[in-house]
Amino acid sequence: MASSRGTDGSLLQSLPWTLAAIAFSLVPHLQFLPIWITVAFVACSAWRYTIERRRRSVPSVWLRGFLALICFVGVLATYDTISGVGPGSALLAIMAALKLLETRKRRDQYVLLFITIFLVMSSLLREQYLWSLPYLALAILLTMTAWLRMSADATESARQSFATGTRLIAYAAPLALAMWIFFPRISTPFWAIPIDTGAATSGLSDTMSPGDISSLSLSDAVAFRVKFEGAVPAPKYQYWRGLVLHRFNGRTWSGNEPMIGKRAREQVSISGEPTRYEVTLEPTRQQWVFALDMPYSWNLSKTFMGPQQQLAREHPINQRIAYDAVSYSEYSTGAGLSEYMRSWYLQLPHGSNPRTLEFARQLRESADTDTGFIFSVLERFTNEQYFYTLEPPPLGSNPVDRFLFDTQAGFCEHYASAFAVIMRAVGIPSRIVLGYQGGELNPLGDYLIVRQANAHAWTEVWLEGVGWRRVDPTAAVAPERIDSGISGAMFDGIGAAWGLAVPTLLLHRLSLTWDALNARWNEWVLGYGPENQNRLMQWLGMDDPDWRKMMLTLIGIVIALTLLISLLLMLRYRSPPRDRAAILYSRFVKKTGIERAIGETPDSFADRAVTESTLPAEIVRTITATYLDARYGTLDPAALVRLEEKVISLR
Amino acid sequence: MWVKEIAASVAGVIPNVNAAASRRVQRWARKRQGVDAPITRLHPGRVYILPTGVGLVFALTTFTMLLGSMNYNNNLSFVLTFMLVGLGFVSMHQCQRNLVGLELRFAGTDSVFAGQSALFRIAVTNHAKSARRRIWLYAGKAHSEIHDLRPGESRVFIIPVATDRRGWITLNRFGIRTLFPFELFRSWAWMHMELKGIVYPHPAEDAPQPPATQSALGHRQHDARGEEDFAGLRKYQTGDSPRNVAWKAYARSGQLLSKQFSGADTSSQWLDFDEVETSDVEERLSILTRWIVNADRTREDYGLRLPGHSFPPAHGDAHRRHCLEALALFGLGGDHG
Repeated sequence: MASSRGTDGSLLQSLPWTLAAIAFSLVPHLQFLPIWITVAFVACSAWRYTIERRRRSVPSVWLRGFLALICFVGVLATYDTISGVGPGSALLAIMAALKLLETRKRRDQYVLLFITIFLVMSSLLREQYLWSLPYLALAILLTMTAWLRMSADATESARQSFATGTRLIAYAAPLALAMWIFFPRISTPFWAIPIDTGAATSGLSDTMSPGDISSLSLSDAVAFRVKFEGAVPAPKYQYWRGLVLHRFNGRTWSGNEPMIGKRAREQVSISGEPTRYEVTLEPTRQQWVFALDMPYSWNLSKTFMGPQQQLAREHPINQRIAYDAVSYSEYSTGAGLSEYMRSWYLQLPHGSNPRTLEFARQLRESADTDTGFIFSVLERFTNEQYFYTLEPPPLGSNPVDRFLFDTQAGFCEHYASAFAVIMRAVGIPSRIVLGYQGGELNPLGDYLIVRQANAHAWTEVWLEGVGWRRVDPTAAVAPERIDSGISGAMFDGIGAAWGLAVPTLLLHRLSLTWDALNARWNEWVLGYGPENQNRLMQWLGMDDPDWRKMMLTLIGIVIALTLLISLLLMLRYRSPPRDRAAILYSRFVKKTGIERAIGETPDSFADRAVTESTLPAEIVRTITATYLDARYGTLDPAALVRLEEKVISLR
Repeated sequence: MWVKEIAASVAGVIPNVNAAASRRVQRWARKRQGVDAPITRLHPGRVYILPTGVGLVFALTTFTMLLGSMNYNNNLSFVLTFMLVGLGFVSMHQCQRNLVGLELRFAGTDSVFAGQSALFRIAVTNHAKSARRRIWLYAGKAHSEIHDLRPGESRVFIIPVATDRRGWITLNRFGIRTLFPFELFRSWAWMHMELKGIVYPHPAEDAPQPPATQSALGHRQHDARGEEDFAGLRKYQTGDSPRNVAWKAYARSGQLLSKQFSGADTSSQWLDFDEVETSDVEERLSILTRWIVNADRTREDYGLRLPGHSFPPAHGDAHRRHCLEALALFGLGGDHG
């Protein structure tokens, strides 16, 4: 039994490459994998390599089975499931680690290399960044080199295998490019795409509690990018409407599930100039679609406007999507609010935040109109000691009371929530809107970058005869937050305070360049879908492109390229023409009267000819030397002339 | 795991399906190509190619990946998939080109005793400027070692073919094959050179002692003596075996001296077909073979007498070969190749 598990070091020339290929393909998975899987993989690799080094035996089938069971249970315990990209790649990593332990023959490594390919694939399914392409290219190069090392004999160096792999990949690349461009893209998936609930992405949540948005404001991640057709609207108009919350339980605001509610939809009337723009939205795994307040039209399929003018898609957005939209900054909505709806927007939980309610009623009595009341509330925020901070103190129960009268420090959600509660307390219907505010203009690509840090909450209040009006209490506390955007404020403050203005500026410019590159990458490579393909085909001169035409073109190009590759290979393996030197040399061989053995070098033939033939040793030696010089040496034409003279003089 | 199982089952099914068909295909190839010259260069039309089991698994994998990429509309996994498809195409052409243009030349057969493997030597020359990799020759189940051929290199590949009886062994068909680069495709060419080799009879395991001989024919051999006990030195006479010359003494004295042995027998050994005490021809040949092998080992002179043929006593590799070939071909007709 032990002997059948023994190793003989024959894997040493390929095993390091196979290990390198798997390890490299695992790199993007590391941040998602539980640490024990990484440790298990590294341990198994080191163990297996040592076994091969020392010519030991691979572990017994019982031990391997035991380890496999432990690992499988471990994956189940970590993920609760084995489907989806996360658990799938964890399983692949475990399979690779365990397969290593039973790999004894060279050919067993095929399985490992197939696992490598699947690992690369699952990484690409999970995330596609600019660096994914070099990752993909290097992973293929490593895998194919390992593949060649598997069958290479001992005389072939790793460098030769690497060169062969590179050459074959270079041949394959144009083929791949042609197929990539012309292979018809379809818009509807064959089967439902499983939603990976394991990976939490940053973004707005469906509800709002104190602290939700301030945690987001630390995230540099891009929420979406916007390209405007005309002038970019001023920052104070850059309110990106997301979802609307109207239910309050004393602490948390929540809304309704998005639904198609044409009947319940409020009337929107618009005026003024439209703003046209294109949004490229990063995947959120939620249904919300963001648009400038107030969206009027949009060209995204399966997207509808909810009763409170929030845009939502039928299915969660799991891929980056792009859509054109038109918005009007001047609008009025909800002119007539039914009693029933009115009671909705006035609902407050009994007994919570009593000090706020009392304060609101008193303030209302001193104001003449609702509008006057609103201004006096905003004035309070401006004039009294309220602070805008990312790290507000904890609030406990009755958070609105605590915030308004005790801590007086908070982020946009605190102000919006407090403001909405104050409004409701005196019978003014109000609601919270979650979305983004502002953004950073990237001059390199002439587009607006809206980051998670731009997440914002504001309120809408309903006024008799006017309808819903946007009121942003945060603007009263921290107007710079609205005017220059959060990143601008932070950037100026930190940079100036630390005296790092210049390098920070440079870094900032670099990051903008990087973002512009990313935007192009998203648009041209990742976003190459049916529409882009259609556009490209038309640009290439294909009338009325459909999948048949594209497939035919694809086949034609692949055949042409394959013929080209065949030609290249033919040239590579063609025999050099029999040159003059070789012809002269074979004449000399004939003169010696002895036959040249197969594989005999000119030098060893000369040794034999000196003893066995009648020709003088000196002549044999000089002709051989001249021949080697003329054929393999400096390619000096004089050597050929000398050879010619000497061979002819043999007569 | 599952990949290996699929590969194994696919690889297992294909030969079975092909078993009957392949014989027909081979006949067709033989008819198409004709008999090859002893030096033959492989042109592209005779290099065949088929995917291997691994190649089929690879194809299945890429197809699955294509479906996945289409479903997720994931452009980077499209890149990965199409790179693999492209590599498949490239490896097909590379695999075939790895053989095209090679020159094969028959380089002789090593004669063996029945039961051993006859070694057919075929020299393969790579005239190209680029190396050829992972090439081997095969005939049925027998195959040579796998070698790389550097640019301009010639290399002798040896196909060991099992033998079971004496006589001519012919190799009407052999093949040259490669799986390079990724073992996704198997590329091969059939060669029909009608190669021949001689198989000596199997040396009998328990042969009786050869009979003591009488110098019946009268022509006494030059001094061939049993080399049992050293008896002394005497002056060298023409005809003395050079093996018996005392070279050390010559080096000292400059005089040629021959070593003398006191052997039981001063006449040379005759091995006679008719004197082997068994009726079966094959057994007789087998016993004679054993005697020759033994006699050759002790470097005695020996002669062989077959019905209608006789080899006067002598020794040496050429003599041994002549005798053994006569035994190998005894009664098989005058087919000399």
